[in-house]
Amino acid sequence: MTTHSNILFQNYFSDFKNYDEVLKSNMSINPNWETLLNNLTEMGHDALISKQKEIDWLMDENGVTYNVYNDPKGLHRPWNLNIVPFVIHQKEWETVEKGIKQRAEILNLVLKDIYGKRELIKKGIIPQEVIFAHRGFLRQCDQIQYKTAKNLLIYSSDLARGPDGRMWVVNDRTQAPSGMGYALENRYSMSKALPGIFKDINVKQPSGFFYDFNQMLIDSAPQNKENPNIVILTPGPHNETYFEHSYLSSFLGYPLVTGDDLVVRSGKVWMKSLKELKQVDVILRRVDDVFMDPLELREDSYLGVAGLLDVIRRQNVSIINPIGSGILENSGLIPFMNNICKYFLKENLILPQIASWWCGQEKERNYVLDNLSNLVVKRIDRSNRESIFFCEFLDNKALESLKKEIISSPYGFVAQEKISFSTAPDFVDGTLEPRKVMCRTFAIAKHDSYSIMPGGLVRVAAERENLFVSNQRGGVSKDFWVSTDEKQTNIQNYAWDNSFKIRISDINDLPSNTAQNLFWSGRYLGRALVTARFLRTVLNRMSSEQYNEGITGSENLKFLLQSLTHITYTFPGFVGKGSDALLKNPLKEILSLMLDQDRMGSFAQTMSSFNNSYYSLRNLWSKDMWRVFDGIQKLWLKFEDDDNYSISALTKILDRIITRIIAFMSLIEESILVQQGLLLYFIGLQTEQAMMNVSKCRSLLVFNHNEQLQYDILESLLTSHESLNIYRYSYRSYLNVENVIQLILLQSDYPKSLTYQLRRIQKDVERLPHSKATGNITECETLIAEANLKIQQLNIKSLLQLNNDGSLRQNLDNCLSELSDLLHDLSLSISDTYFNHSHQQTQLVNQNFPL
Amino acid sequence: MVFKLSHTTSYKYDSGVTFCHNIATLKPKTIVGQTLLDYKLDISPMPTEISEKIDFFGNVVTRFSIQQHHKELKVTASSIVEIDSSLKPDIYQSVDAQKITLQQAIQELKSIEPNILEVRQFILESILIAKITPEIKEYAGVSFKPNRPIFEAAYELMQRIYTDFEFDPEFTNVATPIHDVMKEKKGVCQDFAQIAIACLRSVGLPGRYISGYIETLPPPGKEKLIGTDASHAWFSLYIPKFGWVDFDPTNNQLPKDQHITVSWGRDYYDVPPLKGVIYSTGKNKMNVSVDIRPAV
Repeated sequence: MTTHSNILFQNYFSDFKNYDEVLKSNMSINPNWETLLNNLTEMGHDALISKQKEIDWLMDENGVTYNVYNDPKGLHRPWNLNIVPFVIHQKEWETVEKGIKQRAEILNLVLKDIYGKRELIKKGIIPQEVIFAHRGFLRQCDQIQYKTAKNLLIYSSDLARGPDGRMWVVNDRTQAPSGMGYALENRYSMSKALPGIFKDINVKQPSGFFYDFNQMLIDSAPQNKENPNIVILTPGPHNETYFEHSYLSSFLGYPLVTGDDLVVRSGKVWMKSLKELKQVDVILRRVDDVFMDPLELREDSYLGVAGLLDVIRRQNVSIINPIGSGILENSGLIPFMNNICKYFLKENLILPQIASWWCGQEKERNYVLDNLSNLVVKRIDRSNRESIFFCEFLDNKALESLKKEIISSPYGFVAQEKISFSTAPDFVDGTLEPRKVMCRTFAIAKHDSYSIMPGGLVRVAAERENLFVSNQRGGVSKDFWVSTDEKQTNIQNYAWDNSFKIRISDINDLPSNTAQNLFWSGRYLGRALVTARFLRTVLNRMSSEQYNEGITGSENLKFLLQSLTHITYTFPGFVGKGSDALLKNPLKEILSLMLDQDRMGSFAQTMSSFNNSYYSLRNLWSKDMWRVFDGIQKLWLKFEDDDNYSISALTKILDRIITRIIAFMSLIEESILVQQGLLLYFIGLQTEQAMMNVSKCRSLLVFNHNEQLQYDILESLLTSHESLNIYRYSYRSYLNVENVIQLILLQSDYPKSLTYQLRRIQKDVERLPHSKATGNITECETLIAEANLKIQQLNIKSLLQLNNDGSLRQNLDNCLSELSDLLHDLSLSISDTYFNHSHQQTQLVNQNFPL
Repeated sequence: MVFKLSHTTSYKYDSGVTFCHNIATLKPKTIVGQTLLDYKLDISPMPTEISEKIDFFGNVVTRFSIQQHHKELKVTASSIVEIDSSLKPDIYQSVDAQKITLQQAIQELKSIEPNILEVRQFILESILIAKITPEIKEYAGVSFKPNRPIFEAAYELMQRIYTDFEFDPEFTNVATPIHDVMKEKKGVCQDFAQIAIACLRSVGLPGRYISGYIETLPPPGKEKLIGTDASHAWFSLYIPKFGWVDFDPTNNQLPKDQHITVSWGRDYYDVPPLKGVIYSTGKNKMNVSVDIRPAV
């Protein structure tokens, strides 16, 4: 193929400066890329643009996100996957694979040595300061023994192609390497959206690798259990790679937990589950070393478990990777790697590294200081870009201050040769552009060696000439292909090997944090729906009044507006001080009730609380659920940006959101199993709806009105309750208070009646686990039983009875108020019994030292 | 001389604690010139679990947890320790050691002999003694010169800290950075020890932090020493070809027969007497008392 005739390659050369993956120096095409480029060309320019859009859409639809810290708009930023993959041929890959295995093994031995005999130091192979001056060397982990075959169980390295045409190691990742989940999702998305791009190319699939991954987790259990309890520890939904944590949790079938789901007692780690504490054997962690144990490591950490290190010392739990493995993320080791390799394996390093000088040695330091402006300087224990100095871009003042820093703590610095790594084509604005790329590879301990993921995750520099490749800024990624001459089967679906899934089989084992989030999801969702429907009823009434300015009408509206304040609990609002002005011009207050996120009880605030608790559950989501959830959010964001806040615009958005909330609710019911926690969601939902129901009836049915006003109010009540049709069907009569009370409160077989809701809550509450602590009958059961008894004993005659001056139904109000209290107590009791996280971890002595 | 010593730390919790994990570094060492004759750790309420281990620096640490609800925690370490400084190598008896200059010491410290490797870690920055500033280096430079003996310089440094710094328990707490102490020239024994260590490290010498006690009752006719109502701290300098030499900048003296060593590390962070994580909802109040008297 000639590149000149190819429209995709227009301008590809104009900025071509460096080594490129596709173009050889004589401008001919690298044969490994030829088929892929043909496939791309065949698809044509327009198809590629539309396919890229489809991929973007798919990533978005599937909820693949990458959170960016400290960026208000960055949370849940969509993950970008470029349509053009990165290709490497099996023949070259074999060498790379060997190199990764070798490096993983060396680092494994280094890890074992430096927390053990420290012979590398004693024999002078590495200077002591490379280890001791690195903040990742955790003296608390010294001499810990592990039962696992390897100390380093997961290893990840960033590779890039150097000027000699070989793949070089740029970074080692050993604490809690990220990217596997993204790599897998990239492959699925490519297979789904672009099957044609694989034509005539055999791409190696990662299924076997994930099988090994799972086996490694199982084998790591200290007691060699057949069915070990494995959990995935995440820092939480705000972490940049939270998507991946929940993705791996649902892919591998292990519960996703946060630090406060776990507790150390009697020398073991336990997971707080709904019923009781359950022993944990293996923790796959995505929390960094120093945050893992606030007792012995960083004291201000709430991401880990106090006392964990001691459990590890007793070999009662395995952490993957072991705490302390951050010491290997150490550019100070680079200059000594070849000697280490010779010492352990009696061979040379397979994968080249960047020439590096550790400033702790006098000769090397002098060289670095003399040649500073040509070098890249790094701190040995920090790899973030703020700690990397590209000296060629520094002015004299900055160079001098860096020199001073190096001289004052030379052990902490390494200088590296500046290297220009290769570029690969990226599809940008309809053409191909050369961009710097970095390949993240993954290794998993397997027997006496390592299993390597064929391919991995390729990240692309955000701008053409950018030297940095980092996800922190929300970069672009590529699918990483290892092409082979042997036929491969493509991945078709997510189930890689069902027989290996160890599902949470029982509601008893549900992590109590998950249970809590499900309960609150139910409550917020219930509140959102009732609030939206009531708001809609009020808006409809306002709009019809614009045509029909009758006196009774505005009386009715006034009552509706006042109940709006009551049921959302947003006093003073239309009730208290200053309400006269608001009642005359209610739209402003209604807008605030809809849009003001900071106002307790507003619709916006309810939705945002719902988003938070729901987002923490994402490992339980189905794709359909994400789609609808995301749809609601987008609709809402778009609406917030609009400035058309007319009554009809408000009604329209409520209509659309209500439909989606209902769709979402039915998806929850069909996507999550009762034993996965749906029960908690139901209890939350029904409790909230019952509470709102009571609150609505109290504000609309207690006062006695003249016939016309009464009619209007009852009609609005039934409308907001979506029960007008049912009423007409059931009673075929003019609206009256007696029938409405019957339908909304007392009917035992109408799902929207309070009687029905309370009975349902009772049934569900009885299914919650009982333990020694709760006894045979929980307090929750007693409370809901009392509520049920109360409502069954209600007598319609007594409820309808008016007080002496005929203004209100006191009995009705009393009963509803008692029921409201019982429901409130029930909710508290459920929290106390099942989600007790109220005891906060604190330090005995608050010292907060930076570690 | 045999000392009987008791160190009690108690915490009162406003709203109770459901359970806690703690680490205590309270057991006096047995080293040359100091023998631990008896040791007992009383904890109330009774811990559900308790275990001892040796930490990275060779100190004995006790880990315990209490898994029942409690409103007060009381930890008492009672020891009987025999001190006989005549058994310790005396720097004044070693003319060679007294003569070693800074330049010579730095040269000696380049070796990877096991004992030198062991001390070299105390040259490096540590958690609380990090980012040593030019001010500290300058303060150290007044005493430490390339051709001056380091013992002489360290002795002078101790004297200068004693004179220049004001003992003020109100000014600092365990989390006060050394730079604030340096700026205000105020603090307690722990701060003075850490300032001295920062100075030693700034010129490339190994400095070790020592946590321990000092005799409570002054001998007849002598003044009561500072640091007696709580644990005490001082510093130690490694002099090549001789060993570690202790200095007490709070009392301006070389520890002899009145100092009891409990533990050592790079700085206070490595050896806090008692720390822990509690699970509670309220506040807590701490009280510490130390009593040391000659055993009759």
